[in-house]
Formats: sequence, structure tokens, C-alpha cells
Amino acid sequence: MPAIRYYDLRHVTGQVTHIDIDNGVVESAGTSFFNKAVLRVLTATGWGILQIDNYFPGKRKFDDLLAEASRLANITEERVTLGDAAGGVLPIPPMREDPRDVDIEEKSSLLAGIEAAAVDPAVTNRRANYIERIERIHFSDSSGIEYSYELCRSGFNVLAVASRNGNVQMGYEREHSIHGFNLRHQEDLGRKAAGVAVALLDAKPVKGGKMRAVLDPELAGVFAHEAVGHASEGDLVAEGSSVLKGKIGTKIGNEILTIVDDPGLHEFGFDPVDAEGVGVRRTEIIRRGIINEFLHSRESLAKVGNGVAGHARAMPGEPPLVRMSNTFIEAGDSTEQEIFEECNNGIFLKGSRGGQVDPGRGIFQFNAEYGYLVKNGECTTMVRDVSLSGEILTILHGIVLLGDDRRMSQGYCGKGGQSVPVSDGAPHVLLLDAVVGGSGVD
Amino acid sequence: MRWWVAVAWIDEVIREAEKTVDEVEVYSVEGRSVSAELKQKKINLATISEDVGIGIRTIRQGRIGSSSTNNPADWKACLKAAIASGELATPHQWGGLPDPRPLPGAPLAFDPSMHVEPSVARDFLARMLSAAEEHEADITGGSAGLSTATVTLANSRGIRYTDKRSGISLSLEAIHNQSTGYEFDHSSFVDEVDPETVGERASFFACESAGGNDIPTGNYDVVLSPLAYAELLGGVFIPALNGRSVHAGRSRLAESLGREIMGPGIDMYDDPLLLHASGSVRWDAEGTETRRIDFVKDGILKNFAYDLKTAYRYGKQSTGNAVRGNFGVLPSIGHHNFVVGGKRDAIGDEPVVYVHNVVGAHTANPMSGEFSVEISNSFHANGESFETPIRSAMLSGNVFEMHKEVVGMSKKTRTIGSMIVPSIKLRDQQIIGW
Repeated sequence: MPAIRYYDLRHVTGQVTHIDIDNGVVESAGTSFFNKAVLRVLTATGWGILQIDNYFPGKRKFDDLLAEASRLANITEERVTLGDAAGGVLPIPPMREDPRDVDIEEKSSLLAGIEAAAVDPAVTNRRANYIERIERIHFSDSSGIEYSYELCRSGFNVLAVASRNGNVQMGYEREHSIHGFNLRHQEDLGRKAAGVAVALLDAKPVKGGKMRAVLDPELAGVFAHEAVGHASEGDLVAEGSSVLKGKIGTKIGNEILTIVDDPGLHEFGFDPVDAEGVGVRRTEIIRRGIINEFLHSRESLAKVGNGVAGHARAMPGEPPLVRMSNTFIEAGDSTEQEIFEECNNGIFLKGSRGGQVDPGRGIFQFNAEYGYLVKNGECTTMVRDVSLSGEILTILHGIVLLGDDRRMSQGYCGKGGQSVPVSDGAPHVLLLDAVVGGSGVD
Repeated sequence: MRWWVAVAWIDEVIREAEKTVDEVEVYSVEGRSVSAELKQKKINLATISEDVGIGIRTIRQGRIGSSSTNNPADWKACLKAAIASGELATPHQWGGLPDPRPLPGAPLAFDPSMHVEPSVARDFLARMLSAAEEHEADITGGSAGLSTATVTLANSRGIRYTDKRSGISLSLEAIHNQSTGYEFDHSSFVDEVDPETVGERASFFACESAGGNDIPTGNYDVVLSPLAYAELLGGVFIPALNGRSVHAGRSRLAESLGREIMGPGIDMYDDPLLLHASGSVRWDAEGTETRRIDFVKDGILKNFAYDLKTAYRYGKQSTGNAVRGNFGVLPSIGHHNFVVGGKRDAIGDEPVVYVHNVVGAHTANPMSGEFSVEISNSFHANGESFETPIRSAMLSGNVFEMHKEVVGMSKKTRTIGSMIVPSIKLRDQQIIGW
């Protein structure tokens, strides 16, 4: 059996409560339970990992589990070094109202109110979902670090679909939080979803090309996530899968631009400690236009340097990966009006349907929910189905104005088959020479 | 039967549930998988995963409840949660869970020779790496995984079905001068994956795509590889065939039954009984016997997909299209092996833009079908014969309209997840150059 240099065990138990309301009908509602653990063992030649469903301490001898994991390392062939990193667990922010104190009938009734608010003669379908996920995490490692905490994330989505003569459009709003129950007094978001869906029936597809673009805080946050965040993940840098490899100290954007990932921020991507027991810290990926630090796990820190560990995250029962948490562009000092005036003629893009990046190639794409053509600094015609694509190493020079109004939006980010809660944010941003994709014609 | 002894506790769940509810269904999964991952050319980690879980669904006076747990021994709490959840659900028209049928027992997607061992994964990685050396790209990562699982479905009408499944999946990533290549393969049968092709193609695409030129904005004839096509098909078109979406007003195809929605010569169907296809299964996630469902025949929309709940609600028949992503989620409408067929002769050798992959397909509008995606590993080509690489560009269009512009499909198909699709050639597509 290969000798064990290090091990850690992350055991997560919890429950998920969901409610799904579709056109006024409670399709399903209820609670499910999970219990998952991951044991990582590091030998002289690499990692052996056991992923165990239904883990109970003592059910099998821990030494036997260690032995089984270390035998896996018989096939591994890389000497892995772990960088030094300080531990420490941040306090969990108190919830304004614990969802567990609200019975599911009341949750269902409140969600139904949000869904019903999306009513409109042109709306053919309304759907609202509530999700509440409580995780109890216990971590211990061979160096004696041990911690436990419990975190509850909850929130809702509301979708409205409007339809006219075969033209089908949708409006989608969501709000998720670590600060407790958030279903009360949210009918406005139902109305907003319906309003957007109905308005989009008359929106035009945009004609693609290069143009000036104003991004709203939600979309600019996704931009930071896709265009910069992924490429700064230390595991990708170490593998040679990031165009930012070897670029520390390189000027990549204007001096106004600072992009940060901060797992300690009390937003949806909050982690009080990372998934390998490392204390979390604000990391300035880009500081005043210059590539400054990468996001790291202990392993990628040792391989690459230039940054801090504390960015390892994992789904229950899965091995940790280097991930973003709360990623944002720091606010600037321009007003929204100044940004639109400077844009003059271009496009204003709002909301996000997500994005994707090929960090090795340095190319990303992301999609707005809708937008408006900007003429003489004013929003005019509504447009739909607009995408942006760009090159990581050049596009940031195009960010020339930043608003003073940063806001964060919640979502989930996928990598390596794992999906973790994140938030992205930014102020309003003016981007020159944006490559805009759309199927419109003159 | 011997296998049933291992899950005899399920009978206990059913007896207990029947004291309170009209019907009950138990879905249980137990599996084991191993995987090995490369960091560049070296195996950095090896994993064994032991998966277990049960999902319980109860029905009382049309109210459907559900719950799940990783701990089968804790089924009493799970059953209680399922019954409680049913009390919250709006009652539906419900005609009962399926009765048992004398289905053949032999699994369709299980390879008894699949050895779920780390050394097997290691050997596949070595074969991919060796084949990748044909081109001078650097390997950045890769993985090989093997799995087997036993799925059991039981209900209070007497169904006691079990199925064994197996799987192998391979992938390799490469880079050459800021040009990336990715290739993968998967199958239920260990001898049916091709690690040499995965390795060679990953490094080929990285090398061959390097040094690409810009393309002027304009309209071009385009060939989408099976991979690029499947990305757009899976996220937008297939969900629009979901009977639930159709009746709920979330499908653009809702009013199109019986109409021509794409060029003649194109068929789309779900074939759950295809030999050696990884989605093949004789009964769906609710125990309904599966059969081939023709969604599109010669360009005409013929059918939508239904599960029991949606069928009962709208006066239809289940098409055997209930699937479960995992034990923890309720059955929903999906497909088993979605095949694009029809007149597949050839792509021809005329000048086209060949698109091997796209970035951002999941951002397409699932209602309207509009999309604008970044193309990757794209070439000026004559048919499927590559000439010069294209650096970057966006492809814009509409997944529904695009099917009216199909002018050719390749003879050869490829399995991408649960889709079996050819390359397709499209006339006059909009490309936005950088």
C-alpha cells in the first residue's frame, strides 16, 4: 500500500426542499435527503479518492478506507505538492428569517402569489420554483484541521412565456440568498417576468457586427466571470489550458479595471472556509488593468504560485476543484447617464442567459436576455437574442467607463461535472468594439 | 430470483405505503464507478465512487408525492416525506401506475466484460496519449471512466423490474499555439470506444485549427459536425417535443402537429430498443414498456413525448418517455436514444464553412430557438475535407428554421450523449466575423 502523505475527509449531509408551480398547479413539492462524503488521500505519486454515498463514521474502519484510497494511487504518476495555506473559518451571517421556521404550505402559497403575478393576456405559461438547500459540512484532515458548519441557501425563479402567432418569448427572474427566507413581497418579480416576455413579442432580432455596448450590472458580471474568472483558475493555468498563463504583471485592460473574486463576501457564492480547509480571502485577479493574482487550491498554488489558496470548492461527495465564488468588477465613478452619452450609438444589453469560455483558446461567448439599440445616447428599439463574444487578451482594453452602481446577481457555475452556487456582479460598463451576434438583417 | 433478495426491503416499503396511499413506486440505484484523470500527460488522480440511492413516489387521490435519500435503511423517513409532499400537490387526473408486463430480462446496455478497475482506466489513457502523439499538440488533460449500476423499479401494481447498465467514457484535451482541441467517446460496451481516434482527433483539432484567419461577415453554406449539431438540437429542439411543454404553452411546436416543420427526407425518432446504444432500455422510469416513437417523419411532425402524468392530464397515452436524471428527481419527459435519420446520402464536396464545435449553445433561446454561438475548430472546407482554419466568428440563426434549410446529411452518424446524429449541411447561414 503506498504511503499516505496527506488525507482529508469532507462529509456533507442535508436536505433539499422544493416547490414547483406551473400555471397555478402545484406540480410537486417536498423534501429529499442526502448524505455524501469524499475522502482524498495523497501518496508519493498522486491522489486516490473515494466518493461514498450514505457515509457513516465508523460504519467501515477509517483505516480500511484510507488503505482503499491509497491503493488507487497505484496507477497515478504525478508527485503532487500542496502549498501552505492558513486555515480559519468565517462566521456564518445570521439569516433574517430561517426558512425552516416557515411551513411548506406558507412557502407554497407565497410562491403561488409570485407566479400568479406573472399573469397577462399574452402570457401562455407561468412557472415558479422554490429551492431550499441546507448543507451540514464536516471537514477533517491529517494535519489536525477540523471544522463543521451549516449553511442554508434558498430562493426562487419565476418564468413567464408569452406567445403570439407562433412567436414565443420568455421573461425570467430569480433571486437566491444565503440571508434567509426571501419569498415575501416578491410579486413584482413575477410582474417583471411577464412584462419582459410580452415586450419581447415586439422586439427585433439584432443585426450582428462590431459596436459599442453598454452592459447592465448582471451581464457585466457574467462577462467578468466568463472572460476573466475561468482563465484565472489555477488548475487551468497549471495544465496550460489558460491564455493567462505566464501573464502575471501584464497590462490587459485600462487602469479603471479591477476584477475580484471574494469567497468571504456575504453573497450567494459565500464559503466560510474552502473545501480543503483553507481560509478564504479576497483575490484581486486584475488590479488597475494588470493581471495580478490567480485563484488557487493548495495543489495549484504550489505548481503555479502568484495568488492564494482558498478557492477550492466542491459539491457534496465530489473532490474539490479551483472555482470562483463571488466575482465582480469593482465600481468606477461614472454615472449611468455619462455611460450612455459616451456610448452615443450602440447597444444596451440586459440580463443573462449564461455564457461559456474556452480559456485555452482565450475565446468566450455570453448571451443577454434582451437589450435596446442606443441612438444619440438614448435607448430606442428593443432587441432580443443578443450574444457577445470576444478574446480574453484584447477585450478588456475596450472597457472604458465603469458606473458607480455595482450589483451582484446569483447563479450556478459548472465545471468538471460539478455545479456550485456563485454570484457575479459589476456596475454598468461601456465596452468598445464588442462583437455582437444576432440573426437580424437590414 | 436472486437479485430480488437483495432488495427485498422494497416489498416492505410498498406494504407500508399501501396503508396510507393508493399507489407507490420505488426507484433504486446502486452503482460503482472508477475514473482516472490526467493533468497534462500524467495521471494525477484516481477515483472510486460508490453510489446508492432510492426515490419514492406516492399517489393518493391524484396527489403525487415524492422524496429521496442516499440511505435505503432510512426508507421510513423517506416514505413519510413523500406522503407529506403529496398532500401539498394539486390533485391530477390519474389513471394508475403501469401493470407488470412479461418483458425480456436481458439488459440492452450492459457489458458483462466491463471491469470497473483503475488499471483499465489507466490503460485507456495510455492508448489515447499514444495516439495523440501523431500531432505535435500539448496534452492539457483527459479522463477515462468506467461504471456499472443496477436500477430497480417496483410499484404497488406488481412491477418488479431490474436492469443492469454499464458505461465507459473517454476524453482528451490538447492545445497548440493557443488553439485547443477536445475529443471524447462513450459507450455501454468496453470494446466499442475508440481511444486511438479520441487521442488522434484531440491533438489533430488543436494543431489543425492553429493559425486561423478571420472570416468576413456574411452568409455561407455551413456543415455542422454531429457534435455542433447535437449541441443545438439537445438544448432547444428536443425540449420542444416534450408533451408537457407543448400543453403548457412552452413549445414553439405546440401548434405544428401534422405539419411540415423541416425539409422532406428528415426523420427524428426515439428508439429505446437499439442494440448496443447506451440509452437503450425496455421500460421507462415509470415502468411503461418502451417502443420506438416517431417525432418527425419525412419532415412532418407526428408525435410528442409523454410520461404518465402528462398523458393522463391531457387525455393522451404515455409514449414510454419517462426518464430520471437520477434517483433524487421525479420522473420527467425525455428520450432514450434520439436519432436523426432519413435520407442520409452525403455532404458533398462543395465549399462550406465546417463547424466542429460551438461555444455557448446553452444560451440559445429555448422558446424561440434563436441562437448566436461562437464557432470553434472551424474550417473553410470542401464538404468534410478541411482546407484552412477560421480563427473566430459567431454563427447566428434559429434552431427551428435551420431545419428547413438542411440540404444534406452525412451517411455516418455519431453518438453524442443520448443522441445519434449525422453531420448536417445548411444553406445560407449567417456568420459574423470579428
